[in-house]
Amino acid sequence: MLDMSTKVDPMTEIRTPKMAAKDVNVFYGDNHAVKGISLDLYRDEVTALIGPSGCGKSTFLRCLNRMNDTVATCRVEGNITLDGDDIYDPKIDVVQLRARVGMVFQKPNPFPKSIYDNIAYGPRIHGLARERADLDEIVATSLEKAGLWNEVKDRLDSPGTALSGGQQQRLCIARAIAVNPEVILMDEPCSALDPIATAKVEALIDELKGRYAIIIVTHSMQQAARISQKTAFFHMGDLVEHGDTTQIFTAPKEERTRDYITGRFG
Amino acid sequence: MSNTRDFEPTDWKSPEMQARTRKRYRRDRTFRAMGFSAVILAGLFLVLLIGRIFQDGAMGFMQTSIDLDVTFSEELLGDPRAMDAEAFEEQVRQANMSRLLDAALTAQFPEVTSRRDRRALIRIISGGAREQLRNMVLETPAIVGTTKTVRLLAADDIDQLRKGKIDANEPEANRKVKDQELGWYNKLVEEDRVSLNFHTRFFTSGDSRDPELAGIWGATVGSAITLVVTLLIAFPVGVLTAIYLEEFAPQNRLTDIIEININNLAAVPSIVFGLLGLAVFLGVMHLPRSAPLVGGLTLALMTLPTIIIAARASIKAVPPSIRDAARGLGASPMQVVFHHVVPLAMPGILTGTIIGMAQALGETAPLLMIGMVAFIVDIPGGFTDAATALPVQIFLWADSPERAFVEKTSAAIMVLLTFLIAMNGLAIWLRQKFERQW
Amino acid sequence: MTSAAIFLTLVLLAFIAFVTVRQRSLASVSGDTSKLHSLPRHYGYYAAVCALIPGLLIFFVWVITGKNIIEGLVISGLPDGLSAQYQEQASLVLNRIRLAVENPASSEKHPDILAAAQQFHALYVRGIWATFVLAVASGVGGLVFANYKTNPDFRARNSFERVLTILLILSSVIAIITTVGIVASLLFESLRFFQQVSVVDFVFGLHWSPQTALRADQVASAGAFGAVPLFTGTLLISLLAMMVAGPIGLMSAVYLTQYASARTRKIAKPVLEVLAGVPTVVYGFFAALTVAPFFRDLGEAIGVEIASESALAAGFVMGIMIIPFVSSLSDDAITAVPKSLKDGSLALGATRSETITNVILPAALPGIVGAFLLAISRAVGETMIVVMAAGMQPNLTANPFEAVTTVTVQIVALLTGDQEFDSAKTLSAFALGLALFLSTMVLNVFALRIVRKYREVYD
Repeated sequence: MLDMSTKVDPMTEIRTPKMAAKDVNVFYGDNHAVKGISLDLYRDEVTALIGPSGCGKSTFLRCLNRMNDTVATCRVEGNITLDGDDIYDPKIDVVQLRARVGMVFQKPNPFPKSIYDNIAYGPRIHGLARERADLDEIVATSLEKAGLWNEVKDRLDSPGTALSGGQQQRLCIARAIAVNPEVILMDEPCSALDPIATAKVEALIDELKGRYAIIIVTHSMQQAARISQKTAFFHMGDLVEHGDTTQIFTAPKEERTRDYITGRFG
Repeated sequence: MSNTRDFEPTDWKSPEMQARTRKRYRRDRTFRAMGFSAVILAGLFLVLLIGRIFQDGAMGFMQTSIDLDVTFSEELLGDPRAMDAEAFEEQVRQANMSRLLDAALTAQFPEVTSRRDRRALIRIISGGAREQLRNMVLETPAIVGTTKTVRLLAADDIDQLRKGKIDANEPEANRKVKDQELGWYNKLVEEDRVSLNFHTRFFTSGDSRDPELAGIWGATVGSAITLVVTLLIAFPVGVLTAIYLEEFAPQNRLTDIIEININNLAAVPSIVFGLLGLAVFLGVMHLPRSAPLVGGLTLALMTLPTIIIAARASIKAVPPSIRDAARGLGASPMQVVFHHVVPLAMPGILTGTIIGMAQALGETAPLLMIGMVAFIVDIPGGFTDAATALPVQIFLWADSPERAFVEKTSAAIMVLLTFLIAMNGLAIWLRQKFERQW
Repeated sequence: MTSAAIFLTLVLLAFIAFVTVRQRSLASVSGDTSKLHSLPRHYGYYAAVCALIPGLLIFFVWVITGKNIIEGLVISGLPDGLSAQYQEQASLVLNRIRLAVENPASSEKHPDILAAAQQFHALYVRGIWATFVLAVASGVGGLVFANYKTNPDFRARNSFERVLTILLILSSVIAIITTVGIVASLLFESLRFFQQVSVVDFVFGLHWSPQTALRADQVASAGAFGAVPLFTGTLLISLLAMMVAGPIGLMSAVYLTQYASARTRKIAKPVLEVLAGVPTVVYGFFAALTVAPFFRDLGEAIGVEIASESALAAGFVMGIMIIPFVSSLSDDAITAVPKSLKDGSLALGATRSETITNVILPAALPGIVGAFLLAISRAVGETMIVVMAAGMQPNLTANPFEAVTTVTVQIVALLTGDQEFDSAKTLSAFALGLALFLSTMVLNVFALRIVRKYREVYD
């Protein structure tokens, strides 16, 4: 499927989306944070969600792996599917869903454990490794994929919190990769990093593209332009415009999008 | 693209994985149930504790009385019309009131004749009955020569029998009330002479060796006087200390030491404060033993950290803008603090003070050290009178062997808890009424 | 003349000073307050302070030292026979004199003691009058001084505020004085104890029976002061308490912070607070009346002999008392763990219990350890529950079904009832108090340091 989709012209082929949101509404108590959003997300693409603060993009992102469940006042309506299955169906298991839809947060949040245990945590709880050697392999592979292996292979026992900010964020990406997800959600993953670390994380996202459906929330329009194939512009809880990144940034159809990307507000 | 290997896709729908997930959820539910039972258990302990106290204590407010027809014999008491008031009073005070009781009981139980049985018979009436009769005569001398039905307190064992705490069906050997007394009691019940009434004396009298005569008023007054001393010392000193540390203290070693000191003092066991009181207030300063003054001083030192910590928190919560505004108007640092900061912080300070006072009210151990544990019948009237306090009274009664003291102890605990709930309620009310979001 | 009268006179004097000097300051500018440096009432305050402070100082010196000095004088004036006796039986003679002073109609017959009592009384009356005259004179002096200083240029407010600052500092120093007082009194009395009983015997001795001879001429057992059974008893009960309070407190904190709805929290937290607010004497009563018989009967039913004053009952009830303490401190520790860690774990597909046991509790561990240490220190110093529910027998045992005694129980037992100040028996209570103070202090300092370090990590 991966091979097929890369060969076919995306404009003509009818692909099945990895995840699809249909008419999603989110409420925080009385606050209507996300208003009737429909959006398809594909496996071989990086989709960027942009928009001013408080536009609902992070809230929408957190619906995709049901992290909003942890907020008591939050209510989600509408339909979100993963490979065609409704993820809000009571029969769907949140624990498995979150393993399939990984997440990377705004601030790097390594556990106060060793680098090895940080990566091994997910595989251990999900029982992905039968023996120690399997686990070692998962840890090594995940760190390699996150481009961190060479930097930390000699100090896997040192605490994850001792790494630099950029390394911590890549450790968190490796941690998400280790449970073998199909989708990775990133909530402004670079906003707490310096430019050099940001460049490294962006390069990593580019490498991971194609293996995972990646949805990234970002404040930086340059970043969205650099790393994403699709861009969705949110404003006040509405999905204003959605399409190819180049189109959104060069020829936006909506006035609000144009105003935002030209810096009139936001 | 990097050349790293890809994982095999995880088969989440495989039976093993499904079973594993179910097991994980089961573990989560077990863990949650453990947490929930911990909370329930804590609540259950509270219910058990309070329930047990109330179950016993409710009866502590009631007391059994026996109605007897007492003839106030002129022969024994003298004729109030024939003699002047003083002489009459003197005669009444000297008179052996047991003889009145004895006569009344003989009239009631003519069949009891032997000296031994009559002595047993008089013991079903409380020892306090003599005093009760004497007071009646002193109040209304005209009563002399008449026969009146008088409601007299029953002795504690009869009281326990009436309340069902002593089981009449048990074999006589295991029972405090013997068959003979039981017979008398039943006869009195038949004649409707036994009654259970609200026991006002419990709230108005001091301690006594007899449960039916013992009351908590002495201990309550003792506690009140002690708390007044505690408040008078701990409140000003605590508030002034908090003001100094928050508003004036320079950042130096002395201030650090004071801070660490206060935090440590807050965790010193209360009995150590008692030892301090014993060694310093009694040993060095020779203040009187068992006095509320000493108890109050000791508790003040113990309460001080609580008040200081609360007062500092609420002074700190007053925003700097208020100080800047006052300073901008030309107020001196002292005026800024005493005219603006302290009044605004006062609700918080008072809340902390009330909570500290409630702690002091419930405290027992330090008072034992300074001798407020003595058996004291009189109601204390001043700071240096020998006195006891409510919790100490509870401790003393809990230690008494008489069965009837169990319910008195529980009743006293109910009174103490009522005071504590009222104080904490007041603190919560203050906090809610004046809580301010800056 | 009484101490209270001196105090009231001084207060009255201060009031007079306030009124007169305030009037004088007004008069000095013929009512035009703008010409004064400070407000008239500041002049008044200053005068009141000048009148009150020196007198109060004299008054306090008298209250604290007066009787001691007079007693010294009386003792030194005793006839030789009594002085010789005094060398041996200091407190006894002194007590008899005191009794004779307080209660002239007492049964005291010894002529020397009666004479001493009379002398004491005479000296006391003279002393208190001297104090009165000195205090009032200094008060009047202060008034005159303030009156003299009152002129429109005098910066009364600043001077008054300087006095206030000193008062503030003095208040703060009381906290230190209290600690110093605790340490000094415990150390002083303990040192006197250790002159009679060696430190090694006290700290390592296995036998505790503090009954000493009541009179010096009695040839009775000297008493044994090996405190080890008390230490082990205290430890056993504290351990039992922690076995109840630790799991229940920690698990309820976990439940209330991680699982419970806001409504459950709103109900459960006050319940725990009430549990914390119940006086310890009530717990003691509950332990002695309900829990101890329950355990005894339970033991009978299953064929284990449980003493009616078992360590188990006292420890169990103490555990209940400490639950809210453990729970609220653990609650603080758990809530201090950043939410991002919890989210990170949940986002990986961990269940809540996996997140709690693998991420949240390890991260909160230092705070929880601190909470447990503080709770242990609370248990070690708790008095009333053990006084009422634990026994008096100093058993050296680790069996929770037997009766043991604790440090605090022995302090209470040694110091309530009749006592003489100098006997080893009485003094040993202070040595126990010192041990108690030091051990709780170490636990607290250690716990507070752990908690503070931990807070710094996440702040």
